[in-house]
Amino acid sequence: MIDAAFARPFSLDEACAMLARAHADGQRPALLAGGTDFVVERHLAPPSATPHARITLLDVSSLRELQIVEERGDVVRLGGGVTYLTLRTHAKLVERLPLLAAMSKDVGAIQIQARGTLAGNIATASPAADGVCALAPLDAVVGLQSVRGTREIPLDRYYRGYKKTERAPDEIIAWIDVRVPHRGARWSWRKVGTRLAQAISKVALASVVELEQGIVTRARFGMASVAPTTSFLPSVRAAMEGKPVDRLDTEHVVAALEKDISPIDDVRSTREYRLHVARALVRGVVASLR
Amino acid sequence: MTLSLQINGKTRVIDASPTARLLDVLRESLGLTGTKEGCGEGECGSCTVLFDGVPVNACLVLAGQAQGHDVTTIEGLAKNDPDAHAVVLSALQTCFVEHGGAQCGICTPGMIVSAEALLRRVARPDDAQIRDAIAGNICRCTGYQRIVDAIRAASLERSNIEPQNKGDS
Repeated sequence: MIDAAFARPFSLDEACAMLARAHADGQRPALLAGGTDFVVERHLAPPSATPHARITLLDVSSLRELQIVEERGDVVRLGGGVTYLTLRTHAKLVERLPLLAAMSKDVGAIQIQARGTLAGNIATASPAADGVCALAPLDAVVGLQSVRGTREIPLDRYYRGYKKTERAPDEIIAWIDVRVPHRGARWSWRKVGTRLAQAISKVALASVVELEQGIVTRARFGMASVAPTTSFLPSVRAAMEGKPVDRLDTEHVVAALEKDISPIDDVRSTREYRLHVARALVRGVVASLR
Repeated sequence: MTLSLQINGKTRVIDASPTARLLDVLRESLGLTGTKEGCGEGECGSCTVLFDGVPVNACLVLAGQAQGHDVTTIEGLAKNDPDAHAVVLSALQTCFVEHGGAQCGICTPGMIVSAEALLRRVARPDDAQIRDAIAGNICRCTGYQRIVDAIRAASLERSNIEPQNKGDS
């Protein structure tokens, strides 16, 4: 049992109001979606281990407004509560956003995919987050809602540092807008972990590259587990955009990668191995364009 | 606090904390001990139950979150036969017995619940689909092949097709 108060708002507006009121009352509210991170952390580190840890849980896992999937031209709006299982089984999403479907298959296993949500992945802000990594090359925009109103923040400006985000404590991640790549765009998802299921990445790379008449018109990336936050690889992008595919210098692109990432040794891998894998993944993307 | 949960098709009203894990409520408040606790952190799948027909880890769901949703445990898969005063195993459960899909038994309920979810969605899964469906259920005894064989045999039985000896290869 988690030592916390528990409340269950029945609409997004009610959730925002409860969140604002809890803050005003000096409580410590926490939004609970799939619980795949939160419940594990609380179980392994019970509240008695941390002072002032009693919190009020606001369960948003059943809010329908957070589970929307809406097509708006070349943008798809995904509710914050959309799960990985939805991303890999919703026929229209699998067709239009195969990158997200491929990523979702690699998250935990079905039990985790059924509970884990995009908003939870964004909010937890792990540098190893698979969902954030795959949203990055889709020019994702995070939609935040509170009693004060709504605002949107592009994902590449959402993270301020390790597990630090732009979200105010009274805001809920209500939606994520993603841009559907042009027809014929090359996309890839590669997650390197210890095993195929139930693994957290050593390195992961998501990419979307658009070509027109042999020129790279748009290159977008997300790389996980190589920096304090998901890396968008801006130097790699600059090294590729505007260049003819057949004259892309692979080693020049790989050299650019080293400006974008700063992997570390930790429980899952080493700096050296991560650099090796990151270079190999980027080389793979360049090779696949030819 | 009073919670009202839908478990195995019946409404169960219990006195429990909404922040208790669904796993603990099933085992301790409701006596449904078929659902096992292995790791308690969403890795092993021993506590897999169906949540609106989809497999989830009962160790990661809080009881309060389960209100308004249908929960099916391993106990909900077998049928009660009132005439014989006995429980009749489902075809899937029988196949686990017949194909040696269970050894120590700790993973078995979760494994069968995950397989049930697959077979409801895909009548004739191939081996890759079977392995994907049980990727979140860890077994340290069988090496998985007998489990895959059991699920494949159950899929054939459920669709009334004579089993082939595919699994012996």
